[in-house]
Amino acid sequence: MLGIGRARGSLGTERAQEALAGYGFIAIPMALFLIFNIGALFYSAYISLWRWEILGPTEFLGFRNYAFILRDDVFHIAIKNSIYYTIIVVPIQMAIGLTLAVVVNEIWRGRSFFRAAFYFPAIASSAAITVLYIYIMAPDGLFNHLLELIGVNPLGFHNQGNWLGHSDTALNSIIGLNAWTTSGTMMLFYLGQLTAIPTEVYEAARADGAGPWTTFWRITFPLLRPAHYLVATVSVIGALQMFDQAYIAGGSGGDPAYSLMTMVLYLYNSAFRQFEFGYAAAVGIVLFVIIFTATLVQRRLFGSSDWQGAR
Amino acid sequence: MRRWLLLLAATALAAQACGGGGGGGTTFNADSVSGTVVLSGWQASPEEGAALNAALAGFKAKYPKITVDYQPIAGDYPTAMVAKFSAHQPPDVFYVDSGVAPDWIKQGVLQSLDDWSSSRNFDTSQFYSGYLNAFKGSDGKTYGYPKDGNTLAMAYNPDMLTAAGVQPPTTYDEMTTVGAALKSKGMVAYSMSTTLDRILAFIYGDGGNLLSSDKKSDAIDSKFKDAVSFYLNLFKMGYAKSPSQLGVDWNGKALGEKKAAIIFEGGWLDSYMKGTFPSVPYKWVAMPKGASGQATLGFTVSYSIGKDSPHKDAAWLLLTYLTGPDGMKIWTQGGVANPSRKDVPAPAGKDVLVNSAAFAHPWSFIPGFSKVSDAFNNAFEAAVEGKGTVDDVVSKTKSALDQQLNQP
Repeated sequence: MLGIGRARGSLGTERAQEALAGYGFIAIPMALFLIFNIGALFYSAYISLWRWEILGPTEFLGFRNYAFILRDDVFHIAIKNSIYYTIIVVPIQMAIGLTLAVVVNEIWRGRSFFRAAFYFPAIASSAAITVLYIYIMAPDGLFNHLLELIGVNPLGFHNQGNWLGHSDTALNSIIGLNAWTTSGTMMLFYLGQLTAIPTEVYEAARADGAGPWTTFWRITFPLLRPAHYLVATVSVIGALQMFDQAYIAGGSGGDPAYSLMTMVLYLYNSAFRQFEFGYAAAVGIVLFVIIFTATLVQRRLFGSSDWQGAR
Repeated sequence: MRRWLLLLAATALAAQACGGGGGGGTTFNADSVSGTVVLSGWQASPEEGAALNAALAGFKAKYPKITVDYQPIAGDYPTAMVAKFSAHQPPDVFYVDSGVAPDWIKQGVLQSLDDWSSSRNFDTSQFYSGYLNAFKGSDGKTYGYPKDGNTLAMAYNPDMLTAAGVQPPTTYDEMTTVGAALKSKGMVAYSMSTTLDRILAFIYGDGGNLLSSDKKSDAIDSKFKDAVSFYLNLFKMGYAKSPSQLGVDWNGKALGEKKAAIIFEGGWLDSYMKGTFPSVPYKWVAMPKGASGQATLGFTVSYSIGKDSPHKDAAWLLLTYLTGPDGMKIWTQGGVANPSRKDVPAPAGKDVLVNSAAFAHPWSFIPGFSKVSDAFNNAFEAAVEGKGTVDDVVSKTKSALDQQLNQP
């Protein structure tokens, strides 16, 4: 009796100790998360109610910063640009990422080479790629030379071949750039989920006489649902936070004609060019509400099935 | 104890007030100041670093008891400085760009210098007013002295003008005829920026203005509009193209690659042309004259002292040495910068840019001005693309200015 009791007791303490060690391990990241993410969020909400300058708060404004944001035409343009960008770039990124993943998954010889090659733009610095892209898309750049080679005269377009310098094409050009650079990351997410689909399903489909097209739409695509959710969420958050490419290609003014003014660029300008930190914090809170709402909507749309990628 | 100290301080102030006026500087003795001063700025080139070191060596010879700790800041200078200001640990002496000066003055992070310049006998009358006024706050006090200055002038490729059989334009009207002459030979006359920091020079030349003397937007009038129309028309007629339309990142490159014959830039063009296009010929002349005479923009950077600087006496000596005639002569003589003082001679080949300071307006306006210039630039770009009119440019600039003046 006594022995069993002691055994139970030691098992209990062992468990408790294990749990304690577990909590110990998550305590540090959790503390950092609480301070620098959650804490910073509440602190920004507090700052956003003040006129807050370089040396700190000077006047309590209540919600006047928010009222000012909603009235500012430039912020309306920034919201419009960010949402347009997101609506166009996310489906393109997902489509390219999925296509690359399916193709790479089918290849057996040189598979890791292609995986690395497609992923490469995602690991290169976005600043460096954007600078290269500016040269490629310049009026006398590589892209227009290629157009000329296939018999198209870019000077005949109404933007005169000035892709990043004309307000009609600047944002779309950045969409092209980002669809290319980020689709490698999306491919990796899809690849992880593709390998998690059991091969029996495909064998059964083949036995039933399903061709590759039917197999893809009836089996692969629906079974990738958790990956769709993950990829869509990550892309939407990334797209709504687009800053670096717009800043490098269009400068802090979002040139030309505000076509590259995004929400985060607007926030940056408020903080570091106008030194209105209270106002910038209010912009940040508005951005947070938009992203949070978008994520909740996606959760509703794509369900909440667990991510089952490579573990 | 505290009360005693207060009383002591009050007595000292009263004594100073009584003794003020005659001679001044009752307690300040430059030779007895010692310690270390931290000096910060950005560094554009190795030549600039060498010129600054030479000037600092001159300071060391004059004030051997003061050590200068030079800490240049790499990267985004305003952001780095904002972090230092908010930590109440700014460098003692540092650069302030005329474009951000109104913001930093309003934020109360800079030390006003007027009391010292009168009590310690520093003569500021030799600074070109177009540069010095850039560092005056709305309270009329001065928060920095210009370490050097640059103006916009006209740089042109003489070979291209000769090929078209024309002389460099001296008035805005001639700019149109020169533009037509080059266009008829298949050349682009002007590479011109679509931004306020160039166009404003032409607005001033036509007698227009951006801000009234009491800092209101009602100075934007028909003359402002006419000048913007004139500038826009050069684009519409195909006489001018923007750097982005020419496939370059700035006007200097358009001149270097001979994509345009004439540009309007400042002294920074010289080192660029020397380094990148040494064989392309170009010459400087002053800005063409508008309806109300000659005008240009003055871009300048000051040396200022932090409000929270712990070593203000030593900082004052460094500031006044570097912006005084001796220090500025050493700093500018190699040609890395142009003097902002009339009593310092122009370096070789810089006469046009230095003399233009006499009719330069400072590039320094109101706090939060970047939003106004963004509004102008974006409206003007839209007009160049045919998506807006000159009236749009005027109304959007005016409303951005009003918005900034009435910010909560």
